Amino acid sequence: METQENDTIDDGEKIIRTTTAFDCGGRCPLRVHVKDGKVIRIEGDDFEDKDEQLRACLRCRALRQYIYHPDRLKFPLKRDGPKGSGKYKRISWDEALSEIAAKLKEVKEKYGNSSIFLATGGGYQAALHDGMFAMIRLLTQFGGFSTHFGNISSEGAVYATQTQYTSPFVGHSRTDLKNSKLIIMWGWDPARMISGSDTIYNLIKAKEKGIKIICIDPRYTDSAVVLADQWIPIIPGTDTAMMVAMAYVMIKENLHDQEFLDKYTIGFEKFVDYVMGEEDGIPKTPEWAEQITSVPAEIISNLAREYATTKPAAFMDCQGPARSAVGELYNRCAMTLTAMTGNVGKHGGSAAGGLMGIPYGHMFFASRIPPPYRNPVETGLKSVRGSLDLQLRFQARCHTNKMFDAILKGKGGGYPFDVKFAWFVNNNFLNQLGNTNKAAEALKKLDYMVCAELWLTPTARYADIVLPVTSAAEKNDFTRPWPSGPYFTAMNQAIEPIGECKSDLRIAEELADKLGLEEFVKYPDEKKALRFLIKLREDTRKNIRNINEFREKGIHRIEIEEPYVAFKEQIDDIENKPFKTPSGKIEIFSQRIADLNDPENPPIPKYMERWEGRYDPLSEKYPLQLLSPHPKNRVHSELYLVEWLREVDPHVAWINPVDAESRGIRDGDEILVYNDRGKLTIKAWLTERIIPGAISIFEGAWYDPDENGIDRGGCVNTLTKDAYSPGGASALKSCLVEIKKYNRGA
Amino acid sequence: MQVGFYFDQTRCIGCSACAVACKDWHDIPAGPEKWMKVLYNEEGKFPHIFVSYRINPCFHCIDPVCIPVCPVGAIAKREEDGIVTVDSNKCIGNEECDSKCLKACPYDAPQFGTEIGAKMRKCNYCLDRHLEGKLPTCIESCRTRALDAGSIEELKQKYGSIKETNNFIYSERTKPSVVFKPKEK
Repeated sequence: METQENDTIDDGEKIIRTTTAFDCGGRCPLRVHVKDGKVIRIEGDDFEDKDEQLRACLRCRALRQYIYHPDRLKFPLKRDGPKGSGKYKRISWDEALSEIAAKLKEVKEKYGNSSIFLATGGGYQAALHDGMFAMIRLLTQFGGFSTHFGNISSEGAVYATQTQYTSPFVGHSRTDLKNSKLIIMWGWDPARMISGSDTIYNLIKAKEKGIKIICIDPRYTDSAVVLADQWIPIIPGTDTAMMVAMAYVMIKENLHDQEFLDKYTIGFEKFVDYVMGEEDGIPKTPEWAEQITSVPAEIISNLAREYATTKPAAFMDCQGPARSAVGELYNRCAMTLTAMTGNVGKHGGSAAGGLMGIPYGHMFFASRIPPPYRNPVETGLKSVRGSLDLQLRFQARCHTNKMFDAILKGKGGGYPFDVKFAWFVNNNFLNQLGNTNKAAEALKKLDYMVCAELWLTPTARYADIVLPVTSAAEKNDFTRPWPSGPYFTAMNQAIEPIGECKSDLRIAEELADKLGLEEFVKYPDEKKALRFLIKLREDTRKNIRNINEFREKGIHRIEIEEPYVAFKEQIDDIENKPFKTPSGKIEIFSQRIADLNDPENPPIPKYMERWEGRYDPLSEKYPLQLLSPHPKNRVHSELYLVEWLREVDPHVAWINPVDAESRGIRDGDEILVYNDRGKLTIKAWLTERIIPGAISIFEGAWYDPDENGIDRGGCVNTLTKDAYSPGGASALKSCLVEIKKYNRGA
Repeated sequence: MQVGFYFDQTRCIGCSACAVACKDWHDIPAGPEKWMKVLYNEEGKFPHIFVSYRINPCFHCIDPVCIPVCPVGAIAKREEDGIVTVDSNKCIGNEECDSKCLKACPYDAPQFGTEIGAKMRKCNYCLDRHLEGKLPTCIESCRTRALDAGSIEELKQKYGSIKETNNFIYSERTKPSVVFKPKEK
């Protein structure tokens, strides 16, 4: 075993520096205490300046129970009962990989490579052992594969930022928050969702400096609990109506920064026509918005004035409200307000856009071993470069949130492939995409499925073969955080693999042998491979000068002279450093979108009513809007079985007493939440922290259908829809339901 | 010297990293035995509401009422630092003595596992860490730096002497070793 021993305490107790690679924005440094080959304790960052420590949250504090959980998979499994039953028998690696290789060859010969489907997610985000990259490389060299397009988390924000800035690096260093005079947090709860280890702490420090913080959210979040000077509850899905009305107030009262708009943007006049009612005869007044959002007109007007006259101000939208049918329009309206107030490219300001990324150690630069050539199934297609035409993305792929529909219907349903073989890695998509019951139906009908996992997840339960994968503590690797950093963290192997677990890279390498892919390059020496990967990418090559030191310290913090500010380059020198958009300016009006002629995808940002919102006629039958925010005690569905985490935040539905009492529901009652897609049971938690007419269930609880098809696990996607917005956002938050008290046996 | 805690209620997001870190450090299974708890308080009606969290370890009281009620003298207060400790070997278990320590404590600090006749255990201010000159693990796990610990006199000098906060009443009878920055309503 190759480990980096940083410190020996006594009796052979060692501290190994590592981190985890969950689908989380933290990647916080961990000190894992190991004795006699076992993890006995976990500590966090010990950076000398305690105020600058990147402190791990409760999730990684519970890592020991995750690593040693009795339900961790330890051996390859072969299905020994109906799909979904969870009945499996232990087989050897040789048997498992031989069967898979034979199946792959058979499918390739009979149906062609496009019938091989790779479903990949964010479950392990590190450079060397990432199963997504390993399988892309393997299946490319096997002749190609079909896959999916669209990031479940952020596709709305990606589309919006591509439209208006043509750059995803719309964030500031979190330390720049202290340079603001006003912070508006719109649908953002960094107390729970870790986008940067120290984001919440930087916000607290900003507040303590006297900076006013306003939270706009249907829920009074834990972030609002500590940060909000003012909480403005809003009906879900109506954010854009309020933003457009704020623009109305600014224009009417001449509070907008016309000079900035003239110099740096195009299309503002068309937006004005829409806002003032020239375009459709409806002036988007605060009174108009009050009818839609339930936010009093006076509050909207005051916020518009305050935001327009307090400079600099940081308007922090995020990705959550865009995970809806409204999608990209939420971020586009937010970005337009930041341009109207001249806050783009300024310290203490914000360009909005929801992605919050800075170009240092960003996940979009992910280190990986690249495949030697393009996926043969995806060669010869029309180029998507620079285009906002979502349809181009679907020449060979399905949308991620349509994956199970595509598996179910294939070419007959208009998809570009018929799936006969699927490999699921780094995801629990049955649980985490829209419409879980449909997903289960699709996986029951799927010919053959392999799942590489640490657990028998609700998705894995449908696989023909389940392959056991090592946890982060069982391998050497290195990581980068999602978008903020700026730092890289090292993973040093703390313990031997549990049972017969292997990393996804090793699985791909051994499968390559079974497939006879001699040209598939292997990386048996982890240390050499990590050196190769660090040198491969410019940002790691330039920053990590001493690899041994990086691994010993467990972290490399990137020094930047002053807080990074998105688009400062462009704003300081637009003539020589234009935006990457076709016009070189911020495109409030997008000709690229206008050319698509899609009435649902307007070239200027707008409020548009969409399906399964408050005003959908379906609300007569299903009157409650269902929210599905990030849980604080797991990473999506990862860590779900860890008891230390389960007990600190029992799985409940947030319900306003107004909605509960009218249905005879009391606090703690078991309720049935239902719509035409599914039914689940969950305990009711009555709280004034949520706007009436909406309920909230944290995503990630595991689907557990009973004999009547009622999900006893409380998986929120049993109710959500497998659909996407015109820009490609997974519309999981446009979901109408009804609730009633559940009586067992009734 | 008397050790104690400082809790900045304005910074607590209720995440419970302190509670999980405590369970990991002391190897306590999931279940009712919680040496550190994060308590929740919600007041008011939508949209005018007030929410606060509050930590609940053992406050290592100046006059710990758990000590005199213990029928076997299993609980003691260390002279050198005022940490209230329990000798679980001496404890006769919650069945036999009917959890007298827990009933006496105004803060429910004494804890019991689920087994029949469970012995009392509780927050010991991470005595092992303390003896090595380190802070308790809860303090170092707090992402928002809402917690501090040390000599209560020094904590008072640094943070002030506010003895009460939302969802916490100072017991004159036991004199808990804790100071607060309360969250204003």
